[in-house]
Amino acid sequence: MARVELLDAASAPLTAQRYFAGGDPGPIVAALATVPELLAPTLEFLGAALGDGAVATRHKELAILRTSVLQGCRYCVHAHTAVALDVGLGVEEIRALHGEVPVESGFPDVGERALLGWIDAMAGATGPLPDDVWEAVRQHWPDHVLIELSVTIGATLLLNRFATGFDLPISPAVTVRLESAGLT
Amino acid sequence: MSATIAPDRAGPIAEAVAAGELPGRVWLYSNYHCNLACSYCLTESSPRSERRQLTSETMLAVAEQAGALGFTGLGVTGGEPMLLAWLPDTVAAMAEHLPVVLLTNGTLLGGARIERARPLARDDVAVQISLDSHLPEVNDMARGPDNFAKVVEAVPRLLALGVRVRIATTTAGQLDDPRLDPLRELVSSLGVAPDDHLIRPIVRRGRADERGLGVTAAPRDIPSELTITADGAFWGSFGPTVRAGRLDTDLLITRTVLPLAVPANVLLAVARGLPPGNDTNLGIR
Repeated sequence: MARVELLDAASAPLTAQRYFAGGDPGPIVAALATVPELLAPTLEFLGAALGDGAVATRHKELAILRTSVLQGCRYCVHAHTAVALDVGLGVEEIRALHGEVPVESGFPDVGERALLGWIDAMAGATGPLPDDVWEAVRQHWPDHVLIELSVTIGATLLLNRFATGFDLPISPAVTVRLESAGLT
Repeated sequence: MSATIAPDRAGPIAEAVAAGELPGRVWLYSNYHCNLACSYCLTESSPRSERRQLTSETMLAVAEQAGALGFTGLGVTGGEPMLLAWLPDTVAAMAEHLPVVLLTNGTLLGGARIERARPLARDDVAVQISLDSHLPEVNDMARGPDNFAKVVEAVPRLLALGVRVRIATTTAGQLDDPRLDPLRELVSSLGVAPDDHLIRPIVRRGRADERGLGVTAAPRDIPSELTITADGAFWGSFGPTVRAGRLDTDLLITRTVLPLAVPANVLLAVARGLPPGNDTNLGIR
Protein backbone atom coordinates (compact mmCIF):
# COMPACT_ATOMS: atom_id res chain seq x y z
CA MET A 1 0.00 0.00 0.00
CA ALA A 2 1.35 3.39 -1.00
CA ARG A 3 2.31 5.90 1.65
CA VAL A 4 0.24 8.62 -0.02
CA GLU A 5 -3.31 8.57 -1.30
CA LEU A 6 -3.69 7.32 -4.85
CA LEU A 7 -6.64 9.16 -6.38
CA ASP A 8 -9.21 7.39 -8.51
CA ALA A 9 -11.56 8.65 -11.22
CA ALA A 10 -14.10 9.87 -8.66
CA SER A 11 -11.59 11.86 -6.60
CA ALA A 12 -9.41 13.09 -9.47
CA PRO A 13 -9.34 16.91 -9.76
CA LEU A 14 -11.02 18.47 -12.79
CA THR A 15 -7.77 19.05 -14.67
CA ALA A 16 -6.58 15.49 -13.96
CA GLN A 17 -9.70 13.64 -14.99
CA ARG A 18 -8.59 13.12 -18.58
CA TYR A 19 -5.78 10.89 -17.34
CA PHE A 20 -8.34 8.62 -15.69
CA ALA A 21 -10.74 8.45 -18.66
CA GLY A 22 -9.19 5.28 -20.02
CA GLY A 23 -9.12 3.47 -16.68
CA ASP A 24 -6.48 3.19 -13.98
CA PRO A 25 -3.58 5.45 -15.07
CA GLY A 26 -1.12 3.77 -12.70
CA PRO A 27 0.21 4.85 -9.33
CA ILE A 28 2.54 7.62 -10.53
CA VAL A 29 -0.31 9.58 -12.11
CA ALA A 30 -2.71 8.65 -9.31
CA ALA A 31 -0.29 10.11 -6.75
CA LEU A 32 0.72 13.17 -8.79
CA ALA A 33 -2.94 14.09 -9.31
CA THR A 34 -3.03 15.26 -5.70
CA VAL A 35 -1.10 18.31 -6.92
CA PRO A 36 -2.95 18.83 -10.20
CA GLU A 37 -0.96 21.80 -11.41
CA LEU A 38 2.17 19.61 -11.47
CA LEU A 39 0.58 16.69 -13.28
CA ALA A 40 0.58 17.89 -16.89
CA PRO A 41 4.00 19.59 -16.85
CA THR A 42 5.60 16.65 -15.05
CA LEU A 43 4.15 14.10 -17.45
CA GLU A 44 5.15 16.23 -20.39
CA PHE A 45 8.71 16.39 -19.10
CA LEU A 46 8.83 12.68 -18.33
CA GLY A 47 7.43 11.88 -21.75
CA ALA A 48 10.11 13.95 -23.45
CA ALA A 49 12.89 12.67 -21.23
CA LEU A 50 11.99 8.98 -21.29
CA GLY A 51 10.16 8.66 -24.60
CA ASP A 52 11.26 8.62 -28.18
CA GLY A 53 14.07 10.97 -29.14
CA ALA A 54 17.22 11.01 -31.20
CA VAL A 55 18.76 8.35 -28.99
CA ALA A 56 17.86 4.75 -29.80
CA THR A 57 15.14 3.27 -27.59
CA ARG A 58 17.51 0.47 -26.62
CA HIS A 59 20.01 2.91 -25.16
CA LYS A 60 17.35 4.91 -23.38
CA GLU A 61 16.18 1.75 -21.68
CA LEU A 62 19.75 0.86 -20.72
CA ALA A 63 19.95 4.21 -18.96
CA ILE A 64 16.53 3.94 -17.30
CA LEU A 65 16.85 0.38 -16.07
CA ARG A 66 20.49 0.68 -14.96
CA THR A 67 19.76 3.94 -13.09
CA SER A 68 16.79 2.32 -11.36
CA VAL A 69 18.91 -0.66 -10.34
CA LEU A 70 21.63 1.59 -8.93
CA GLN A 71 19.02 3.55 -6.96
CA GLY A 72 17.37 0.39 -5.65
CA CYS A 73 13.95 1.41 -6.96
CA ARG A 74 11.84 -1.71 -6.81
CA TYR A 75 8.91 -0.13 -8.64
CA CYS A 76 10.97 1.24 -11.55
CA VAL A 77 13.16 -1.87 -11.92
CA HIS A 78 10.03 -3.98 -12.06
CA ALA A 79 8.25 -1.79 -14.61
CA HIS A 80 11.28 -1.16 -16.82
CA THR A 81 12.42 -4.75 -16.85
CA ALA A 82 9.18 -5.40 -18.71
CA VAL A 83 9.79 -2.39 -20.99
CA ALA A 84 13.33 -3.64 -21.66
CA LEU A 85 11.88 -6.95 -22.88
CA ASP A 86 9.42 -5.02 -25.03
CA VAL A 87 12.17 -3.07 -26.79
CA GLY A 88 14.20 -6.20 -27.48
CA LEU A 89 16.78 -6.47 -24.74
CA GLY A 90 17.74 -10.06 -24.04
CA VAL A 91 17.43 -11.84 -20.74
CA GLU A 92 21.22 -11.99 -20.34
CA GLU A 93 21.49 -8.25 -20.99
CA ILE A 94 18.78 -7.55 -18.44
CA ARG A 95 20.52 -9.76 -15.88
CA ALA A 96 23.70 -7.79 -16.46
CA LEU A 97 21.84 -4.52 -15.95
CA HIS A 98 20.34 -5.99 -12.77
CA GLY A 99 23.86 -6.75 -11.56
CA GLU A 100 23.22 -10.48 -11.44
CA VAL A 101 26.00 -11.22 -13.95
CA PRO A 102 29.05 -9.15 -15.00
CA VAL A 103 28.36 -6.34 -17.47
CA GLU A 104 30.95 -7.85 -19.82
CA SER A 105 28.94 -11.04 -20.21
CA GLY A 106 25.81 -9.19 -21.20
CA PHE A 107 27.38 -6.45 -23.31
CA PRO A 108 30.30 -7.52 -25.51
CA ASP A 109 30.24 -4.25 -27.47
CA VAL A 110 32.92 -1.92 -26.14
CA GLY A 111 30.90 1.18 -26.94
CA GLU A 112 27.90 0.00 -24.92
CA ARG A 113 30.19 -0.99 -22.07
CA ALA A 114 31.65 2.53 -22.08
CA LEU A 115 28.14 3.92 -22.07
CA LEU A 116 27.18 1.76 -19.08
CA GLY A 117 30.29 2.87 -17.23
CA TRP A 118 29.27 6.48 -17.82
CA ILE A 119 25.67 5.76 -16.71
CA ASP A 120 27.03 4.16 -13.53
CA ALA A 121 29.14 7.25 -12.83
CA MET A 122 26.24 9.60 -13.54
CA ALA A 123 23.51 7.75 -11.64
CA GLY A 124 25.32 5.76 -8.97
CA ALA A 125 27.97 8.11 -7.66
CA THR A 126 28.47 11.63 -6.37
CA GLY A 127 31.10 14.23 -7.10
CA PRO A 128 33.06 14.84 -10.28
CA LEU A 129 32.84 12.38 -13.15
CA PRO A 130 36.16 10.43 -13.40
CA ASP A 131 38.23 11.49 -16.38
CA ASP A 132 38.76 7.93 -17.59
CA VAL A 133 35.02 7.32 -17.68
CA TRP A 134 34.50 10.48 -19.70
CA GLU A 135 37.36 9.77 -22.10
CA ALA A 136 36.02 6.26 -22.72
CA VAL A 137 32.45 7.29 -23.39
CA ARG A 138 33.24 10.25 -25.65
CA GLN A 139 35.21 7.99 -27.97
CA HIS A 140 31.97 6.26 -28.93
CA TRP A 141 29.12 8.70 -28.35
CA PRO A 142 28.51 12.27 -29.54
CA ASP A 143 27.60 15.11 -27.19
CA HIS A 144 23.94 15.17 -28.15
CA VAL A 145 23.46 11.54 -27.20
CA LEU A 146 25.08 12.01 -23.81
CA ILE A 147 23.13 15.19 -23.15
CA GLU A 148 19.84 13.53 -24.06
CA LEU A 149 20.70 10.52 -21.92
CA SER A 150 21.69 12.74 -18.99
CA VAL A 151 18.15 14.16 -19.07
CA THR A 152 16.80 10.60 -19.25
CA ILE A 153 18.90 9.67 -16.21
CA GLY A 154 17.73 12.77 -14.34
CA ALA A 155 14.07 12.02 -15.03
CA THR A 156 14.63 8.43 -13.94
CA LEU A 157 16.22 9.57 -10.68
CA LEU A 158 13.14 11.72 -10.03
CA LEU A 159 10.86 8.74 -10.60
CA ASN A 160 13.11 6.44 -8.56
CA ARG A 161 12.83 8.63 -5.49
CA PHE A 162 9.14 9.34 -6.07
CA ALA A 163 8.23 5.66 -6.37
CA THR A 164 10.52 4.51 -3.57
CA GLY A 165 9.77 7.35 -1.17
CA PHE A 166 6.02 6.84 -1.47
CA ASP A 167 6.27 3.06 -1.76
CA LEU A 168 4.21 2.86 -4.93
CA PRO A 169 2.75 -0.60 -5.56
CA ILE A 170 4.09 -2.77 -8.36
CA SER A 171 1.78 -4.29 -10.92
CA PRO A 172 0.84 -7.97 -10.30
CA ALA A 173 0.37 -8.49 -14.05
CA VAL A 174 3.94 -7.38 -14.73
CA THR A 175 5.19 -9.72 -11.99
CA VAL A 176 3.54 -12.67 -13.72
CA ARG A 177 5.10 -11.69 -17.03
CA LEU A 178 8.59 -11.30 -15.59
CA GLU A 179 8.36 -14.63 -13.78
CA SER A 180 7.39 -16.33 -17.03
CA ALA A 181 10.53 -14.84 -18.62
CA GLY A 182 12.70 -16.08 -15.77
CA LEU A 183 13.18 -12.57 -14.38
CA THR A 184 12.04 -11.50 -10.94
CA MET B 1 -20.31 46.00 -9.93
CA SER B 2 -19.97 47.43 -13.38
CA ALA B 3 -19.20 45.15 -16.29
CA THR B 4 -16.64 47.59 -17.63
CA ILE B 5 -12.98 46.96 -16.93
CA ALA B 6 -10.97 49.58 -15.10
CA PRO B 7 -7.91 50.60 -17.13
CA ASP B 8 -5.52 49.33 -14.45
CA ARG B 9 -7.30 45.97 -14.27
CA ALA B 10 -7.15 44.82 -17.86
CA GLY B 11 -6.15 41.19 -18.33
CA PRO B 12 -7.63 37.79 -19.06
CA ILE B 13 -9.31 37.43 -15.67
CA ALA B 14 -10.76 40.94 -15.73
CA GLU B 15 -12.04 40.35 -19.25
CA ALA B 16 -13.55 36.97 -18.31
CA VAL B 17 -15.29 38.46 -15.27
CA ALA B 18 -16.63 41.37 -17.31
CA ALA B 19 -17.87 38.96 -19.98
CA GLY B 20 -19.57 36.71 -17.42
CA GLU B 21 -17.27 33.78 -18.14
CA LEU B 22 -16.10 33.79 -14.53
CA PRO B 23 -18.00 34.92 -11.44
CA GLY B 24 -16.55 38.05 -9.89
CA ARG B 25 -16.29 36.82 -6.32
CA VAL B 26 -13.35 35.02 -4.76
CA TRP B 27 -14.13 32.97 -1.66
CA LEU B 28 -11.77 32.30 1.20
CA TYR B 29 -12.23 29.53 3.77
CA SER B 30 -10.65 31.27 6.74
CA ASN B 31 -10.83 28.08 8.82
CA TYR B 32 -12.70 24.80 9.06
CA HIS B 33 -13.53 24.52 12.76
CA CYS B 34 -16.86 25.73 14.07
CA ASN B 35 -18.71 26.05 17.35
CA LEU B 36 -21.71 24.38 15.67
CA ALA B 37 -22.09 21.04 13.84
CA CYS B 38 -24.98 21.58 11.38
CA SER B 39 -26.55 18.48 9.90
CA TYR B 40 -26.06 19.60 6.30
CA CYS B 41 -22.62 21.14 6.69
CA LEU B 42 -20.61 20.68 3.50
CA THR B 43 -17.33 20.65 5.35
CA GLU B 44 -18.27 18.53 8.38
CA SER B 45 -17.25 21.51 10.47
CA SER B 46 -17.57 21.15 14.23
CA PRO B 47 -15.66 22.05 17.39
CA ARG B 48 -13.52 18.95 16.79
CA SER B 49 -12.61 19.73 13.18
CA GLU B 50 -9.03 20.43 12.23
CA ARG B 51 -8.60 24.20 12.04
CA ARG B 52 -6.84 24.30 8.65
CA GLN B 53 -6.91 28.08 8.79
CA LEU B 54 -5.55 30.69 6.44
CA THR B 55 -3.31 33.32 7.93
CA SER B 56 -4.35 36.93 8.00
CA GLU B 57 -1.40 37.69 5.72
CA THR B 58 -2.57 35.17 3.13
CA MET B 59 -6.12 36.52 3.20
CA LEU B 60 -4.87 40.06 2.68
CA ALA B 61 -2.63 38.97 -0.18
CA VAL B 62 -5.54 37.17 -1.84
CA ALA B 63 -7.68 40.31 -1.48
CA GLU B 64 -5.02 42.56 -2.96
CA GLN B 65 -4.23 40.23 -5.86
CA ALA B 66 -7.88 39.51 -6.55
CA GLY B 67 -8.46 43.21 -7.00
CA ALA B 68 -5.43 43.57 -9.25
CA LEU B 69 -6.52 40.63 -11.41
CA GLY B 70 -9.98 42.08 -11.94
CA PHE B 71 -12.22 40.13 -9.60
CA THR B 72 -15.00 42.26 -8.17
CA GLY B 73 -15.75 40.90 -4.70
CA LEU B 74 -14.65 38.66 -1.87
CA GLY B 75 -16.42 36.22 0.41
CA VAL B 76 -15.13 34.82 3.70
CA THR B 77 -16.55 31.61 5.06
CA GLY B 78 -15.58 28.61 7.17
CA GLY B 79 -15.99 26.82 9.57
CA GLU B 80 -16.94 29.76 11.70
CA PRO B 81 -14.74 32.73 10.82
CA MET B 82 -15.60 34.66 13.96
CA LEU B 83 -13.75 32.04 16.02
CA LEU B 84 -10.59 33.77 14.80
CA ALA B 85 -9.82 36.76 17.02
CA TRP B 86 -8.14 38.78 14.24
CA LEU B 87 -10.80 38.12 11.62
CA PRO B 88 -12.88 41.37 11.83
CA ASP B 89 -9.81 43.59 11.42
CA THR B 90 -8.58 41.43 8.55
CA VAL B 91 -11.94 41.61 6.79
CA ALA B 92 -11.94 45.39 7.16
CA ALA B 93 -8.44 45.51 5.64
CA MET B 94 -9.51 43.21 2.80
CA ALA B 95 -12.39 45.56 2.06
CA GLU B 96 -9.86 48.24 1.19
CA HIS B 97 -9.31 46.18 -1.97
CA LEU B 98 -12.74 44.71 -2.78
CA PRO B 99 -16.18 44.51 -1.12
CA VAL B 100 -16.44 41.58 1.29
CA VAL B 101 -19.28 39.31 2.36
CA LEU B 102 -18.52 37.60 5.68
CA LEU B 103 -20.48 34.46 6.47
CA THR B 104 -21.03 33.72 10.14
CA ASN B 105 -23.47 31.74 12.20
CA GLY B 106 -24.02 34.84 14.33
CA THR B 107 -23.79 33.00 17.63
CA LEU B 108 -20.56 34.52 18.87
CA LEU B 109 -21.80 38.09 19.14
CA GLY B 110 -23.79 37.96 22.39
CA GLY B 111 -23.38 40.54 25.14
CA ALA B 112 -20.23 42.62 24.99
CA ARG B 113 -18.85 40.45 22.18
CA ILE B 114 -20.94 42.47 19.73
CA GLU B 115 -18.11 45.02 19.89
CA ARG B 116 -15.96 42.59 17.91
CA ALA B 117 -18.15 43.38 14.91
CA ARG B 118 -17.45 47.12 15.01
CA PRO B 119 -14.67 46.99 12.33
CA LEU B 120 -17.28 45.45 10.01
CA ALA B 121 -19.49 48.55 10.13
CA ARG B 122 -18.53 49.91 6.73
CA ASP B 123 -20.24 50.21 3.37
CA ASP B 124 -18.06 47.63 1.65
CA VAL B 125 -18.68 44.80 4.13
CA ALA B 126 -21.82 42.70 4.55
CA VAL B 127 -22.27 40.10 7.25
CA GLN B 128 -24.31 37.11 6.15
CA ILE B 129 -25.93 35.07 8.91
CA SER B 130 -27.67 31.72 8.52
CA LEU B 131 -31.26 31.28 9.64
CA ASP B 132 -33.22 28.33 8.31
CA SER B 133 -36.69 28.58 9.83
CA HIS B 134 -39.05 30.95 11.64
CA LEU B 135 -39.64 28.10 14.11
CA PRO B 136 -36.88 27.94 16.72
CA GLU B 137 -37.17 24.19 17.17
CA VAL B 138 -36.93 23.51 13.42
CA ASN B 139 -33.99 25.89 12.94
CA ASP B 140 -32.17 24.55 16.00
CA MET B 141 -32.68 20.92 14.99
CA ALA B 142 -30.36 21.43 12.05
CA ARG B 143 -28.11 24.14 13.45
CA GLY B 144 -27.82 23.44 17.17
CA PRO B 145 -29.36 24.45 20.50
CA ASP B 146 -30.25 28.12 21.01
CA ASN B 147 -29.08 29.06 17.52
CA PHE B 148 -32.37 30.74 16.65
CA ALA B 149 -32.41 32.89 19.78
CA LYS B 150 -28.80 33.97 19.34
CA VAL B 151 -29.32 34.96 15.70
CA VAL B 152 -32.53 36.85 16.36
CA GLU B 153 -30.71 38.73 19.11
CA ALA B 154 -27.59 39.43 17.05
CA VAL B 155 -29.18 40.79 13.87
CA PRO B 156 -30.75 44.00 15.29
CA ARG B 157 -27.67 44.65 17.38
CA LEU B 158 -25.43 44.39 14.31
CA LEU B 159 -27.72 46.70 12.37
CA ALA B 160 -27.67 49.18 15.25
CA LEU B 161 -23.89 49.08 15.10
CA GLY B 162 -24.08 50.08 11.45
CA VAL B 163 -23.23 46.66 10.03
CA ARG B 164 -25.00 45.59 6.84
CA VAL B 165 -26.66 42.21 7.50
CA ARG B 166 -27.79 39.60 5.02
CA ILE B 167 -29.67 36.45 5.99
CA ALA B 168 -29.05 33.13 4.22
CA THR B 169 -31.57 30.35 4.42
CA THR B 170 -30.61 26.85 3.38
CA THR B 171 -33.54 24.64 2.58
CA ALA B 172 -34.13 21.03 1.64
CA GLY B 173 -37.43 22.05 0.03
CA GLN B 174 -38.43 24.20 -2.92
CA LEU B 175 -36.95 27.67 -3.00
CA ASP B 176 -40.37 29.24 -3.61
CA ASP B 177 -42.17 27.18 -0.97
CA PRO B 178 -44.89 29.42 0.60
CA ARG B 179 -44.05 27.81 3.94
CA LEU B 180 -40.97 30.04 3.89
CA ASP B 181 -43.17 33.16 3.94
CA PRO B 182 -43.24 33.42 7.76
CA LEU B 183 -39.45 33.28 7.72
CA ARG B 184 -39.36 36.06 5.12
CA GLU B 185 -41.61 38.12 7.39
CA LEU B 186 -39.41 37.40 10.40
CA VAL B 187 -36.29 38.46 8.49
CA SER B 188 -37.99 41.65 7.41
CA SER B 189 -39.10 42.37 10.98
CA LEU B 190 -35.48 42.09 12.09
CA GLY B 191 -34.68 45.00 9.78
CA VAL B 192 -33.12 43.07 6.89
CA ALA B 193 -34.17 44.13 3.40
CA PRO B 194 -35.80 41.42 1.21
CA ASP B 195 -32.94 41.71 -1.27
CA ASP B 196 -30.56 40.79 1.52
CA HIS B 197 -32.40 37.52 2.24
CA LEU B 198 -30.88 34.63 0.24
CA ILE B 199 -32.74 31.34 -0.02
CA ARG B 200 -30.70 28.49 -1.47
CA PRO B 201 -30.77 24.72 -1.66
CA ILE B 202 -28.65 22.26 0.23
CA VAL B 203 -25.97 21.04 -2.17
CA ARG B 204 -25.43 17.30 -1.96
CA ARG B 205 -21.77 17.23 -1.09
CA GLY B 206 -19.84 16.52 2.10
CA ARG B 207 -21.97 15.61 5.10
CA ALA B 208 -25.14 16.43 3.11
CA ASP B 209 -24.18 13.70 0.64
CA GLU B 210 -23.66 11.15 3.41
CA ARG B 211 -27.15 11.94 4.68
CA GLY B 212 -28.81 12.02 1.26
CA LEU B 213 -29.77 15.70 1.60
CA GLY B 214 -30.03 18.35 -1.07
CA VAL B 215 -29.67 18.79 -4.80
CA THR B 216 -27.19 16.80 -6.83
CA ALA B 217 -24.80 19.08 -8.70
CA ALA B 218 -22.18 18.25 -11.31
CA PRO B 219 -19.11 20.52 -11.45
CA ARG B 220 -20.64 22.62 -14.20
CA ASP B 221 -23.73 23.17 -11.99
CA ILE B 222 -21.64 24.79 -9.27
CA PRO B 223 -20.76 28.46 -9.82
CA SER B 224 -17.11 28.60 -10.76
CA GLU B 225 -16.11 31.05 -8.04
CA LEU B 226 -12.42 30.80 -7.25
CA THR B 227 -12.24 29.45 -3.70
CA ILE B 228 -9.11 29.60 -1.58
CA THR B 229 -8.44 27.29 1.36
CA ALA B 230 -5.49 26.09 3.38
CA ASP B 231 -5.55 22.97 1.18
CA GLY B 232 -5.44 24.78 -2.15
CA ALA B 233 -7.71 26.50 -4.65
CA PHE B 234 -11.05 25.01 -5.69
CA TRP B 235 -13.78 25.36 -8.29
CA GLY B 236 -16.57 27.03 -6.35
CA SER B 237 -17.32 27.58 -2.71
CA PHE B 238 -18.97 24.16 -2.71
CA GLY B 239 -15.71 22.58 -3.86
CA PRO B 240 -13.61 22.04 -0.73
CA THR B 241 -16.10 19.75 0.97
CA VAL B 242 -15.29 17.04 3.48
CA ARG B 243 -16.86 13.63 3.91
CA ALA B 244 -15.90 11.01 6.47
CA GLY B 245 -12.98 13.21 7.43
CA ARG B 246 -11.51 13.26 3.92
CA LEU B 247 -11.23 16.40 1.81
CA ASP B 248 -12.95 16.04 -1.56
CA THR B 249 -10.42 16.68 -4.32
CA ASP B 250 -12.66 16.37 -7.38
CA LEU B 251 -13.04 20.16 -7.62
CA LEU B 252 -9.47 20.95 -6.62
CA ILE B 253 -7.90 23.35 -9.12
CA THR B 254 -4.39 23.86 -7.77
CA ARG B 255 -2.53 23.40 -4.51
CA THR B 256 -0.84 26.70 -5.30
CA VAL B 257 -2.77 29.61 -3.83
CA LEU B 258 -0.42 32.55 -4.31
CA PRO B 259 0.26 34.20 -6.61
CA LEU B 260 -3.49 34.17 -7.17
CA ALA B 261 -2.99 34.34 -10.94
CA VAL B 262 -1.91 30.67 -10.88
CA PRO B 263 -5.23 29.19 -9.71
CA ALA B 264 -7.23 31.95 -11.42
CA ASN B 265 -5.79 31.12 -14.83
CA VAL B 266 -6.33 27.38 -14.37
CA LEU B 267 -9.90 28.04 -13.27
CA LEU B 268 -10.53 30.13 -16.36
CA ALA B 269 -9.08 27.44 -18.62
CA VAL B 270 -11.29 24.79 -17.01
CA ALA B 271 -14.36 27.05 -17.16
CA ARG B 272 -13.83 27.58 -20.86
CA GLY B 273 -13.63 23.83 -21.38
CA LEU B 274 -16.88 22.92 -19.65
CA PRO B 275 -20.37 23.27 -21.14
CA PRO B 276 -22.76 25.69 -19.41
CA GLY B 277 -24.19 24.42 -16.15
CA ASN B 278 -27.51 24.48 -14.38
CA ASP B 279 -26.51 26.53 -11.35
CA THR B 280 -29.04 29.27 -12.00
CA ASN B 281 -31.96 26.86 -12.29
CA LEU B 282 -30.84 24.95 -9.20
CA GLY B 283 -30.50 28.22 -7.26
CA ILE B 284 -27.00 27.35 -6.08
CA ARG B 285 -25.24 30.43 -4.74
